[in-house]
Amino acid sequence: GPTGTHSVPRQEEAQAIDQELFTEYRFSVDQLMELAGLSCATAIAKAYPPSSFTKSQPAVLVVCGPGNNGGDGLVCARHLKMFGYEPTVYYPKRPNKPLFEGLTTQCQKMDIPFLAEFPAEAALIDELYGLVVDAIFGFSFKGAVREPFSSILSTLEHITVPIASIDIPSGWDVEKGKADGLQPDMLISLTAPKKAAMHFAGRYHFLGGRFVPAALQEKYALNLPSYPGTDCVLQLT
Amino acid sequence: SPAPLVQAFPLPSLPRKQPTVLVVCGPAQNGAIGLVCARHLRIFVGIFLPSSSSSSLSSHGPQRCLSATQDYEPTIFYPKRSPDPLYRDFTTQCEKMDIPFLSYLPTEVQLINDAYNAVVDAVLGAEAELGEGRGPCAGILATLKHVRIPIVSLDVPSGWDVEAGSSSGISPDVLVSLMAPKQCARRFLGRQHFVAGRFVPYDVQKKFELNPPKYPGTECVVAL
Repeated sequence: GPTGTHSVPRQEEAQAIDQELFTEYRFSVDQLMELAGLSCATAIAKAYPPSSFTKSQPAVLVVCGPGNNGGDGLVCARHLKMFGYEPTVYYPKRPNKPLFEGLTTQCQKMDIPFLAEFPAEAALIDELYGLVVDAIFGFSFKGAVREPFSSILSTLEHITVPIASIDIPSGWDVEKGKADGLQPDMLISLTAPKKAAMHFAGRYHFLGGRFVPAALQEKYALNLPSYPGTDCVLQLT
Repeated sequence: SPAPLVQAFPLPSLPRKQPTVLVVCGPAQNGAIGLVCARHLRIFVGIFLPSSSSSSLSSHGPQRCLSATQDYEPTIFYPKRSPDPLYRDFTTQCEKMDIPFLSYLPTEVQLINDAYNAVVDAVLGAEAELGEGRGPCAGILATLKHVRIPIVSLDVPSGWDVEAGSSSGISPDVLVSLMAPKQCARRFLGRQHFVAGRFVPYDVQKKFELNPPKYPGTECVVAL
């Protein structure tokens, strides 16, 4: 694994890095979201290859929240489909913006089903899917969890199939974690691991979002370990 | 698109001391793809050894050799910049990442041969209507025809007719077909042919009879 310390960005710093990418470097949200979502799908494929699923099909449930983390989830679902998985999306709160409408259309046109209702019980999720992707809340999350996500998280806390969380396990404080909250098996930290990652106890921690220019890494003292070759993900544990 | 360059020319194989690559970008979409390619090349890091150490690579793992992590060092030549806002942002991203933009392309090809390990040809794509001898890119293509270092062409060797190819145009070493090979790819005589652009939904593939090869695992390129 990587040696040496690196600066773990706080919520404000992580947001500042993003802002600099958008305003100074002129990246579009689309560009970075596509690279982030692709990283997530790639990390999932490395840790849970389709052949590892015990069910007849590599069925994955992707739960998308109301913001950018949900957008990352939509991109991830689309790439999972290209990689040979059978993703299903649950996307109860959809922003009225072209970016998210486009991502939704792309998934729908690729025959990725969108559930009308969230599975009522944890046991049903365990029966239907081999993996759940948690794309509900990301590093901008603050405050109380509103419905329907509060109930969704309660259900997810009782499933036995693994959960892969995008950037921050949903419902966790982005710095302090949540001891009685979601316990994902995989965490895909985007850009750099956040403070909450120190509380991550699952098997697989990947780094994704390989787009931070060297100058920004230095400015924020990220000291990220090197990605191998042309890979868009790096396995940290 | 940069992944094929890295697969065809892994850093340890490059003959020059610095892993320099010249990315020549045309005025339209093919050029914009070149800009994105250059930006990713700047981020790709490999174990870089000067060529005299290549024999020690086989007997020891990279960690035990004197080595440095090094990104490719792209330089861009982009004489006619597109006014498209998306492509202008791609340009800004490259500039902010300290990728140099040449103000002119040397007509003396030896200068290009000496300074760079390879050229990425992102001048003209399948949409180009004018052949190699005409149009504003004619001068660039005339120079590229004479370089001795390998050329990696994006989608279509620039200046080739997208169906018939070309008997006297540039001769790339590597061709990266985007989404699916174009008809002129049948005339490609270089060393390696890749397909890239792993994003075409199955129904579109079937509708247009693209028949792309199967991508291995999570790879975004496949060698034909």
